[in-house]
Amino acid sequence: MQIRDGLSESLGPEYPRKSPAVEALKPYPMGMRVLAVVLAWLIPGAGHFVLGKFGRGLLFLVLIAGSFLLGLSLHGRLYAPVADPTTLLHVDLISVLWSFAQVGTGLCYILGHVLGFGANYRPGAPTYEYGNTFMFLAGLLNYLVIHDAFDIAAGRKR
Amino acid sequence: MHLLMMSLYAAVTAIVLAAIEPRTTETRAKVIHGLKIFGAFLGIGLALSWLLFPIPW
Repeated sequence: MQIRDGLSESLGPEYPRKSPAVEALKPYPMGMRVLAVVLAWLIPGAGHFVLGKFGRGLLFLVLIAGSFLLGLSLHGRLYAPVADPTTLLHVDLISVLWSFAQVGTGLCYILGHVLGFGANYRPGAPTYEYGNTFMFLAGLLNYLVIHDAFDIAAGRKR
Repeated sequence: MHLLMMSLYAAVTAIVLAAIEPRTTETRAKVIHGLKIFGAFLGIGLALSWLLFPIPW
């Protein structure tokens, strides 16, 4: 399978294009694919480490975990679904959405709850919403990173 | 403060999106793509903020 370098083409004729690699991308065994996806969720970037993409893995680890820790330090809140008997589904939908976003960080979210870091939130703090935003960003970006790890393991990209 | 947070948010998003870009494997193309994403985030954010500025509430 060749990778079409459509992005290089859009940069203009003066941009030097390398010819794409001719060897086909081979998918990893199914066990390795599952391991990569699970690890990618648990520890941001770990899926890429397992697949041999150390640079990318380290970059994702630093950016995503760093974003999550920044959110915590800005007094953001670790969300968990909240029951709300006044709604149709008896749950506060916003808290479910925010929790889903933050769960994307895997162990960061789990350890945050277990170790009580999420209890440090201060809604009155001027940085509260920034903190929440960075924690949501970390989780949602990690979902994309998990997909990237899966695509590499499935032989769809290098 | 808000501009700093917005820039940091844009930078993190741009780097990750550029790193997972499937259309190219060349580092230089990814860097350029990431810079475009960063610029788009900041530009659209600033444009929207000025558009919303006259609204009183």
